[in-house]
Amino acid sequence: MVIYRFTPARCLVDTCFYTITGIYARNILIACGAEMRLEMLGRKSRKKTGLNIIIVGCGKVGATLTEQLSKESHDITLIDKNPEKIQHLANTYDVMGLAGNGASYNVQMEAGIEDADLLIAVTDSDELNLLCCTVAKRVGDCAAIARVRTPDYSEESAYLRQKLGLAMIINPELAAAHEVARLLYLPTALEVNPFAHGRVELIKFKLPENNILANQTIVNLGKKGVSQNVLFCAVERDGEIIIPTGMFTLAAGDVVSFVSSRRDARNFLSKIGFDIKQVNNTMIIGGGKAAYYLAKQLLPMGIDVKIIESNFERCEELNALLPKAIIINGDGTNEELLKEEGIKNIESFVPLTGIDEENIFLTLYAREVSNAKVITKINRINFKNVISHLDLGSVIYPKYITAEAILAYVRAKTASIGSNVETLYHMFDSRVEALEFLIDRESEVTNIPIMEMNLKKNLLLCCIQRNGKTIIPSGTDMIMPGDTVVIVTTHTGFDNIQDILV
Amino acid sequence: MNNSIIRYILGCVLKIETILLLFPCLVAIIYKEDKGIYYFITACICLVLGILLTLKKPESLVFYLKEGSAATALSWIIMSLFGALPFWLSGEIPSFTDALFETVSGFTTTGASILSDVEALSHCSLFWRSFTHWIGGMGVLVFLLAVIPLSGGSQINLMRAESPGPSVGKLVPKIKTTARLLYIIYFGMTILQIIFMLAGGLELFDTLAITFGTAGTGGFGIKNDSIGGYSPYIQWVVAIFMVLFGVNFNMYYLFLYRKWRKALSIEEVHTYFILIIISVTVIFINIAKTIGSASDALRHAFFQVSTLITSTGFSTTDYDLWPQTSKTVLIVVMFIGACAGSTGGGIKVSRVIILVKSIKKEMASYIHPKCIQKIKMDGKPVEHEIVRATNVYFVAFTIIFFLSVLAVSIDNKDFTTNFTAVLATINNMGPGLAEAGPAQNFGSFSIFSKIVLMFDMLAGRLELFPLLILFHPGIWKELFIKKRKPGQKK
Repeated sequence: MVIYRFTPARCLVDTCFYTITGIYARNILIACGAEMRLEMLGRKSRKKTGLNIIIVGCGKVGATLTEQLSKESHDITLIDKNPEKIQHLANTYDVMGLAGNGASYNVQMEAGIEDADLLIAVTDSDELNLLCCTVAKRVGDCAAIARVRTPDYSEESAYLRQKLGLAMIINPELAAAHEVARLLYLPTALEVNPFAHGRVELIKFKLPENNILANQTIVNLGKKGVSQNVLFCAVERDGEIIIPTGMFTLAAGDVVSFVSSRRDARNFLSKIGFDIKQVNNTMIIGGGKAAYYLAKQLLPMGIDVKIIESNFERCEELNALLPKAIIINGDGTNEELLKEEGIKNIESFVPLTGIDEENIFLTLYAREVSNAKVITKINRINFKNVISHLDLGSVIYPKYITAEAILAYVRAKTASIGSNVETLYHMFDSRVEALEFLIDRESEVTNIPIMEMNLKKNLLLCCIQRNGKTIIPSGTDMIMPGDTVVIVTTHTGFDNIQDILV
Repeated sequence: MNNSIIRYILGCVLKIETILLLFPCLVAIIYKEDKGIYYFITACICLVLGILLTLKKPESLVFYLKEGSAATALSWIIMSLFGALPFWLSGEIPSFTDALFETVSGFTTTGASILSDVEALSHCSLFWRSFTHWIGGMGVLVFLLAVIPLSGGSQINLMRAESPGPSVGKLVPKIKTTARLLYIIYFGMTILQIIFMLAGGLELFDTLAITFGTAGTGGFGIKNDSIGGYSPYIQWVVAIFMVLFGVNFNMYYLFLYRKWRKALSIEEVHTYFILIIISVTVIFINIAKTIGSASDALRHAFFQVSTLITSTGFSTTDYDLWPQTSKTVLIVVMFIGACAGSTGGGIKVSRVIILVKSIKKEMASYIHPKCIQKIKMDGKPVEHEIVRATNVYFVAFTIIFFLSVLAVSIDNKDFTTNFTAVLATINNMGPGLAEAGPAQNFGSFSIFSKIVLMFDMLAGRLELFPLLILFHPGIWKELFIKKRKPGQKK
């Protein structure tokens, strides 16, 4: 398996060895190596106003990054060959644009590479991205992130990353495949995300009608012993995000997110009557890169994989690469073919074609004719709101995953400057923030039980890490100096742990 | 259209004007003038209105080019209306149209006056007149962007509407930092000029008033003979600083960041200096015979060229009496104007360069009809969109120009007067020739003509389109007709 590398701010404090610590950004495993730590320490000191970031390539990922990073008040310079794309983004966001080849020394100089903290190369071409980063590393003293997608390179990405001195190599297709695989492992969940350095998971599920959880308050569930070691951290109802208190009553139709360890999560879900078995077989429509990565992960888990791909040559290629998978040459949108291949009895169905409309139709069709767990891949993020109204079940956005991973890196880099926030990341389309604080000294919040604290509304102490153990806190737990505390909140702009008090 | 953001911006502009109006109050206190009270009253009115307008934060901070343009144009109109109040209330300018003309002329850095005896004004009014130049020079919305956090990212549309030039680029990625840098450069250069002027032994009040007029390339003098009565040293300082304020501010930014070579290779600035040198030489040769001493002739030639190419409008001598060749050269430089991204007016040197290169390209296409050739500036191809916008700008400019001449001709003055009066106002110059010449004033025009000229001044300062779109029915509909919210009953 490929390990993505990425430096959380912890590395500065952690004087420990090369530990593979957990994950923040969706499903990206973070390993921190020694050279990364040096890079972080050698970073020029900067005010908290933001980083100087150069983004090469203004495609979907570039645009998403621009939107998010400009909101977070970084100084952004965009480079793209197409002046119209640049113009459009420069009109919409507070950024500066530059038309030209991002791998050229002159263009990078003009974009101010000498003062830049970070260069992100997300053009269509892997080679160009790597070249951009290589040039940038030689010219300026900045961290570089490249998007590399083809399997040829991505299998060597750890090597490339190290040799080229890159901060991060991202691969949206692979990331998407990871996410799909995790969902197929726990099919009842809408989303499964690693949380707090991977020690716990954040699981999102939709509460069906007539479930025993419906019309119950959270306190009640605790008393009944249903929700042992499970912490409800957010509920999405009618498009609104609520951070629930103990008196909150759940209702059918709510999208509930909870935090717990993997084992506790399975116990909990089985107690409330969900099926927690992993799927046995899956049908993938479209044999692109994402399908390849996904099949490669599912096959070792003992899941039978069937891929339907219309291009004959690609089918042959896939057959060579994935000898155990069943490769079918045919049109995946053909109803007869789908029936013939047994869509009605399939346990999971993953449309991964390059066309969003096809993916959505296939999903709707599959939900109509079978009880399969369906996971839809959507490339375009413009219509996210509309899509969330359709009842598609699990939806994954590869571009969004990529952007999120980069954002998490940037946030970690920024957050470590001038505040006590160790790491910060966003959930529910940035409507909820999760922040990690290191408690370095005694203060108003330490050594008193949580229930006696006067906490702000819409805020939750989500987990406490003490001596390597993760505690899901209840009202009687206390914060101690030396702990790492994760809070979840709809407020923004927290700098200090004391900010949680009213 | 997002009307609430326009309301909010107008409110902010009024709040800024409140602060600005306190400066003449201060002057009134120093000179113990009772006229200062009217400035204080106006400041209070602005404050109350400003607070009322900004009471409710707009739901959405996003605005597009149309909102940006409309907000800019309305801000300038509202600023001028309130800026005119003290003149009118204090009775120093009895007619409101005249007071408004004077203020519009101030804010747009035109410097055309309706007053025949400037020296009769109180110190605070003189200060306010000159101070409006300084505010209008860089633009109040650029100032707004520098101080008020308007998150949302689309603020470039405000800056685009207010900053002169065919294309607006940022100096640094963030608009707020860009706006701040512009004001830092502007402020720094103003201070520098004040030091030079004080070194010439000028009184502080005169120094401030003239410096404000120079920095904004405005041109209101505080003496009836403008700058003519001051020493040659002062005249040289003013002339040089006028030229400097007419240079594209990008150059100063590049200087600030020590990118010398890039700073010195801006094509527009080269052309600008070449134009000045050629015009000064021609006029110097032309007038040397009539003016005895060569140094005087050079000084007058240089001063008049720099004052007119930067659209300032100070004068050291009545150039209306000069030979025809000199007068014509002056009219040509009046049209061309200063560099884009400066405080000066006119068509702008960069637009002229693009237009001339378009003509060259057109000629080349007669020789090689299939030839692909892009217009280049600073060695880089200019986007087609900018070339198109420049051409349309020039056409619109010409049409508005001649329509205005037609409208003003109702007053039955001679052609030179009408032509140069419109020329001097639309290019934000100040004095024209003949009855609108440097030794005359605009007081003799009818109210209708004054309104036309005020429109020209605003159109010239905002580069036509932000003001023109206010007359587009599509904007009225969106501004005045309330949108029904979805689901709301009639």
